[in-house]
Amino acid sequence: MSVLLEIESLDFSYENASSPVFSELNLVVNQGDFVVIKGASGTGKSTLLRLVCRLQAYEKGRILFKDRSIEAYHPAELRRSITYVAQIPSMVDASVKENLLFPFSFAVNNCMKKPSDRMLSEMLEQFYLQDVSLLQQARNLSVGQQQRIALMRALLLDPEILLLDEPTSALDAASAAMVFSIVERLNARQGKAIIMVTHSNRILGNISPVVYLLENSKLRRI
Amino acid sequence: MSQTVEISLWQLALGLLFILIAQVASFVYHLGLNRDITVGTVRTFAQLFLMGYALTFIFQLENIWLTLGIFAVMAVSASFIVQGRVKEKQVPYMLPTFLTMFVSYFVTALFVSGLVIGVVPWWEPRYFLPIGGMVIGNSMSALAIALERLFREMRQQKGLIEARLCLGANYKEASSEMFRNAVTAGMIPSINAMMGVGLVFIPGMMAGQILAGADPLQAIRYQIIIMLMLVGSTATTSIITMLIIRKRCFGRGEELLLSVSDK
Repeated sequence: MSVLLEIESLDFSYENASSPVFSELNLVVNQGDFVVIKGASGTGKSTLLRLVCRLQAYEKGRILFKDRSIEAYHPAELRRSITYVAQIPSMVDASVKENLLFPFSFAVNNCMKKPSDRMLSEMLEQFYLQDVSLLQQARNLSVGQQQRIALMRALLLDPEILLLDEPTSALDAASAAMVFSIVERLNARQGKAIIMVTHSNRILGNISPVVYLLENSKLRRI
Repeated sequence: MSQTVEISLWQLALGLLFILIAQVASFVYHLGLNRDITVGTVRTFAQLFLMGYALTFIFQLENIWLTLGIFAVMAVSASFIVQGRVKEKQVPYMLPTFLTMFVSYFVTALFVSGLVIGVVPWWEPRYFLPIGGMVIGNSMSALAIALERLFREMRQQKGLIEARLCLGANYKEASSEMFRNAVTAGMIPSINAMMGVGLVFIPGMMAGQILAGADPLQAIRYQIIIMLMLVGSTATTSIITMLIIRKRCFGRGEELLLSVSDK
C-alpha cells in the first residue's frame, strides 16, 4: 500500500488560546485506508481535517500528500484530490442537479466530463435518494438528504482522499445508517481512502477502520 | 440673465426660524434632539464659513501644491469616514482603499477638469476642488456600502464559499456572487440618481448654479458631466477596491480568513 498522506510533527494553536490544539501530532494514511478519528468536543478533530485540505493554515510541522508538501500544490488542485465534506452541508439555491454539477464549472475541473442525467439518477439510488428528483430544489430537502447530496457531489470529482467531518452528527438514526453504509461501500469497493471524524460509537460493519483518539493534542491509536 | 441676489447676514439669521421650528417640535414631542440640533446648527455655520474663507484664500493663491494638498486631505478624510462605517477588524482594508480612492478620484477629477471642461491650468482650484469633492463624496458612500456588503456576505456565506473551495474552486470562483453583489450594491444609488435626475429632484450643484444666476442650459451640461463622472468613478473605485479587498479575505492557501463570529 502506498502512502498517500503523512502528517509529521504538526503544531497548531488558536490565537490567544492557553494550550495548543496539536503538538507534535503524527499520522500516516495509506491508499485504501479507512481512518476514524474520535475525541471529545473541542479537541480539534475538525481542525485537523481543515488543516489537511488547507482550509486553515498550520504553523509548524509538515503535511505531505504523495510525498509533496500540500503547500506545493495549487490549493484548488489539492482540494480536488483531498476533498472535505463539512458537517453542515451547503447547497446553492438551485436544483439538485445544479448542486451536483456546479463544481464542473470551476477551472480546475474543466477537463472532467460532466455526468449524464441517467448516471446522476442511478447514483441517487445508490445513495438511498431514489425519491429525490434531479429537478427538486436542493434546499428543500432534509439535512440528511442534503448530506448525502454533498457526499455525492464530492465523489463525482473522484478525489483520492475523502475527509468526512462528522457526517452523521445532524442526522437521525436511519439517515446516519445510510451514510455509514455508503461510506463503507466506497472504501470497501472503490478502495477510496477516507478519514472520518465522528462522535458516533457505531462500529462500521463490514470493514475494520483504523481508529485514533485525539486527546492531549496528539493522536493515539486505539 | 438675472443677477445673483445676495444674502445679507440678517437674511441668513432669518433662516434660523426653521431651526426654531425644529427645536420647538423636539421640545413638545420629547424627541430629545434639542442639543443635536443646536450643535448641528452651530457646526453648519462654523464649518461652512470656515470653508468659504478657506476657498476664497485658496482661489486667490492659485497654488498647485496647495490645491493637491487639499485634495489629498479630502481623500484621507473620506477613507477615515469609510473606516468609521465599515466595522471590520480581521482584514486590513484601509491602505488599499485609500490608495484606490486617491488615484481613481484624482484621475477622474483630472479628466473632467482638464479634458472635458478644458480648464487651464487643469488644477484650477475653482473647478478641480469642487469636482474632486463631488467625486469623493459620492464614491465614498458607494465604497462604504460595497465594502460592508462584501464583508457581511462573505461571513454569512462562509459555509458555501468553503464548500466551493473544497470542490476545486479558486477564491474568485468561490466568492463570485458576493463580489458581484457588493459592487452592485455600491453602484445602485448613483444609477438610481441618473434615473431620477431632472424628474424627481434637481441636483444640488445645478440648483446652486441656477440660484447663482447661471443659464439653466449651461447648468445642465455641467450636471450631466457630473452624473456621468460619478457613475464612472463609483464603478472603477468599487471594482478595483473590491478586487483587492476580496483577495485579502483569503490566505496563501486560498483559505477564507473571515470568521463568522469575529468582526
